[in-house]
Amino acid sequence: MSNIPTKSIIVICPSDIVLGGLSEILKGSQAEEIIQLHRGDEILDYPKLSGHFLVIASPEELEKSSTLIRQILSSDGKVQFMNLQLELISTNTNLALNLYDSPALICYKANEILNSFPASQPKDTDTELTRREMEVLRLLTKGYSNKEIADQLFVSTHTVISHRKNISEKTGIKSASGMTMYAILKKIIDVNDIDTADLI
Amino acid sequence: MELFNENNKLASVIHKDHSLLPVINRLGIKLGFGDKTIQNICEEKGIDLNFFVETINVFHYEAYFPEKRLLDFSVSMVIEYLLKTHKYYIEYLIPENDRLIELFLMASPDESAENDLVRRFYTKFKEEFVIHMNFEERVMFPYILELNDALVNPVAYEAFHQKYPGYSIEGYEKEHSNMDDKMDDLKNIIIKYLPPNYDQNRGNAFLFNLFMFEKDLKNHSRIEDHILIPKVKQLEKVLLSHE
Repeated sequence: MSNIPTKSIIVICPSDIVLGGLSEILKGSQAEEIIQLHRGDEILDYPKLSGHFLVIASPEELEKSSTLIRQILSSDGKVQFMNLQLELISTNTNLALNLYDSPALICYKANEILNSFPASQPKDTDTELTRREMEVLRLLTKGYSNKEIADQLFVSTHTVISHRKNISEKTGIKSASGMTMYAILKKIIDVNDIDTADLI
Repeated sequence: MELFNENNKLASVIHKDHSLLPVINRLGIKLGFGDKTIQNICEEKGIDLNFFVETINVFHYEAYFPEKRLLDFSVSMVIEYLLKTHKYYIEYLIPENDRLIELFLMASPDESAENDLVRRFYTKFKEEFVIHMNFEERVMFPYILELNDALVNPVAYEAFHQKYPGYSIEGYEKEHSNMDDKMDDLKNIIIKYLPPNYDQNRGNAFLFNLFMFEKDLKNHSRIEDHILIPKVKQLEKVLLSHE
């Protein structure tokens, strides 16, 4: 799992106030790391960067140093640039950050780009239910509560809840009546054994 | 992806995201607007421009939710929008769903046991949903509007206090996630688990409608949970401070 590319943000701005503030806000985004630079060429101080990068800087700064940044960063991941507008502009655009954007909007715009980077390996979760999960499902479709199921299986309620969570994750079904439907369609239970009027 | 703004032509907005069609209807706009911008149209129809732009953006991008700006809108404006959404569900989307699910289930007559289950699941979901909307329209929205009135009108203030001595929206809040879950489950059951002995086109038509319904419903819940309810709590605090 160690070869999943990381997603980081590099913020470049000569002002410490803007740099610090923006980095603090971007901690709420999906970036795994945020690197602060006063000037684009300071990227040379970071020889071991890898993964995907979103670079946020003023249009002038990007013009000056985007070629250099691309050279340094583009070995194994993607690089995307985003303009940082420092004056108030009324038109909304997702392609640039504005100094006056709300924190939520800033993180949203950053996430849009971070999410467009190739996903870290798709999760290949096992979708087969275990025997224990089947048992829990069977009891669930009979209308038993978590506590009652726990008592019958001699486990804690906490364990039952965790089984239910796993069943939901594997099947994609969340509601109790949805699980009953699933159990019938998968022939885990017989439709005649349960009171469908009550349970679905 | 770009957010929409007041200078965009409404026609090009619709070309970019046609799922906004029912949303602009609810906001009071019918088609046939030529090349007018959002601003032109809102001015013409007397629609609050900011509310229009924010509403379509919130609907268009799930991740966009400028909470602070949204909290500026009046509760009556938000409720009017929500009521129009209910009307759209009751008068169009639900009957359309009913029609499409029947066409879909009728086209697979051999699997009557499975069909019965799907029908029952859907019917139960629908009933719960209608009860939920009725509750909001008959109990929750009137409470909010009366609360809003009480803040500006001394007569309404007295009436409000008599009617709701220990007022708090918290007693009225209902879980939305439950309905979202069931909607999701129904989609998953058809996509993943129902034996595919049915007419695929009919199945798809039902699913298309369900996806549309789901998107609309999620957006509706978001507006209630993150704009309306926080706003009401704010108003309740203001009222409390007057006492």
